[in-house]
Amino acid sequence: MKKTIILGVGNPILRDDGVGIHVAEELKKHIKKPGVTIDSAFTGGMNLLDLMVDHDRAILIDAVKLKNKKLGDVGLYGFGELSAFNTCNPHDVSLPQAVDLAKKLGENRIPTDIKVVGINIGELNCEFGEELSSEIEKAIPKAVELVKKEVESDG
Amino acid sequence: MKTITIDPITRLEGHGKISIFLNKDGNVENAYLQIPELRGFERFAQGRRAEDMPQITSRICGVCPVAHHFAATKALDDAFNVKPTSAAKKLRELMYCGYYIYDHILHFYYLGGPDFIVGPDAPAAKRNVLGVIEKAGIEVGKEVIKHRSYGQKITGILGGKATHPVCGLPGGVSKGLNKDEVKDIEKMVKSCIDFAKFSLKLFDDIVLKNKDYVSLIKSDPYQLKTYNMGLVDDKNKVNFYDGKIRVTNQEGKEHIKFDGKDYYNKISEHVEEWSYMKFPYLKDIGWKGLVDGKNSGIYRVGPLGRLNAADGMATPLADKEYKRMFETLGGRPINSTLAFHWARLIELLYATERAYELVNDKEITSDKIRNPVGEPGEGIGVVEAARGTLIHHYKLDKKGLIEKANLIVATTNNAGAITMSIRDAAKGVISKGKVDDGILNKVEMAFRAYDPCFACATHTLSGGMPLQVDIYNNRKNLYKTYKRLGE
Repeated sequence: MKKTIILGVGNPILRDDGVGIHVAEELKKHIKKPGVTIDSAFTGGMNLLDLMVDHDRAILIDAVKLKNKKLGDVGLYGFGELSAFNTCNPHDVSLPQAVDLAKKLGENRIPTDIKVVGINIGELNCEFGEELSSEIEKAIPKAVELVKKEVESDG
Repeated sequence: MKTITIDPITRLEGHGKISIFLNKDGNVENAYLQIPELRGFERFAQGRRAEDMPQITSRICGVCPVAHHFAATKALDDAFNVKPTSAAKKLRELMYCGYYIYDHILHFYYLGGPDFIVGPDAPAAKRNVLGVIEKAGIEVGKEVIKHRSYGQKITGILGGKATHPVCGLPGGVSKGLNKDEVKDIEKMVKSCIDFAKFSLKLFDDIVLKNKDYVSLIKSDPYQLKTYNMGLVDDKNKVNFYDGKIRVTNQEGKEHIKFDGKDYYNKISEHVEEWSYMKFPYLKDIGWKGLVDGKNSGIYRVGPLGRLNAADGMATPLADKEYKRMFETLGGRPINSTLAFHWARLIELLYATERAYELVNDKEITSDKIRNPVGEPGEGIGVVEAARGTLIHHYKLDKKGLIEKANLIVATTNNAGAITMSIRDAAKGVISKGKVDDGILNKVEMAFRAYDPCFACATHTLSGGMPLQVDIYNNRKNLYKTYKRLGE
């Protein structure tokens, strides 16, 4: 089995933005396998990459903003499919840029398989809070299933 | 009237938007920066256990978790009427140096530096860290990555977690250092000192030896004569973690110096109808609009603000560099916004030297890392975040729950200055309606120098982040749009 890291990405105190973290917490109840680590990352870019190295596969669970999808839609995306990864950190570089950079510098511990499970949250309401809106809350089981399936896919 | 909108600003991935208004001749009439504001922090904080604040506030934004962590911890020291032990204070400061090391390296090599190292007129796709590596070499790239990660590791060893520390407690810290950890940190810090020296040398070779860059730094559009603010120690030297807030004037002389606890008597906030951002100003001088000079209460914070507000650096190598910078750019204060980059590297050197002093301090392995707390009350904590003065203010009820919380963050302190810098740069580089990528980048450079942080930049993944420039005619009808892809 591929050495896998599952990372819930987001800001846990920015409402729907933190949905990836909620999904990761839920997954901890469902997936208990050697070689699979589940963690949360309240960060992006370089720091996110730091958490991913030394794994064969990374599955990121994150809030996405997609115009042609409904709120709460869940999808599995390849690393190249989402062209911009904005971190909650305007000061940091984007994840694709961090990956590019690391490759250029000869880093060979980057996962060869990076996928993103995205939950469409639309425009972010810039208000502090820990609760999710109801449409997004309902998306959690779907996202959990999708990650489970992806983990199983190469057994 | 034509309107140019730069949205979003590349490399600072928030939702910041610059709008430039042209007059009928195509010259700049005015320019504004608008950013969204995260709402409801006070309500969010109310009723929470005060001791959770260092963890909660470190999540406000991924940029300065360590700064928020310690501003909150210091506010709790004050609120619970307890002083940290001497060893705890040193451990906090050492960790704080680690944060400055990775943060300043990140800004110089990834965000601000590319404008100089690759060149302000280089194509946008090249003006990034990969372009820096192309120019400076792969080996330099490896050093950058290594030392940024050393900063993270130092913070991680002391803070429990590299990005969101869990060590700050009222009266001290939750974790000390053992001898092995001290050895590890010392080794990393030594290497960081050399890297900081190297970075200053690189700045010398690439920027200061290039006459065009020096004249760009000294050119009018990038000058701003505001007051300057920063924390200083008892000898008026720059301090990131503790001290008094000192404000110097346009002649480089001390205007006021005060205890952080007194901030609400010294600073007021002005509200403009077009912006969510508040504009802080010095109360005794007053708000005179978005203008600089002695009669306007606007001040600057951050690396240049701090160096201008102090009389020197507390460590020998950084102090030498401090003197050299002021000699080169014509004495104190330096008004050039682009000098923020140089100041940032001098601070990087200071952070490494100070870390070396602290890690070699006999007390650093002491187990006396916490004092018992007193009764809950009201507390104010001030630190210098990498991008400027950061203030946390909490009022606790009898059970130790948060009743009121107020934060003034670094970028807010710089709000007036940033807005003016953008306006002046736009006026200086745009004429007769001529706008291209290189010209817009020179406007962005005025903004990027401050290393601003929009707490609300979401991490949402989206399908592309173009830089959009909209030009409107004088009836405000859109007639042209420039687009380029974000990075």
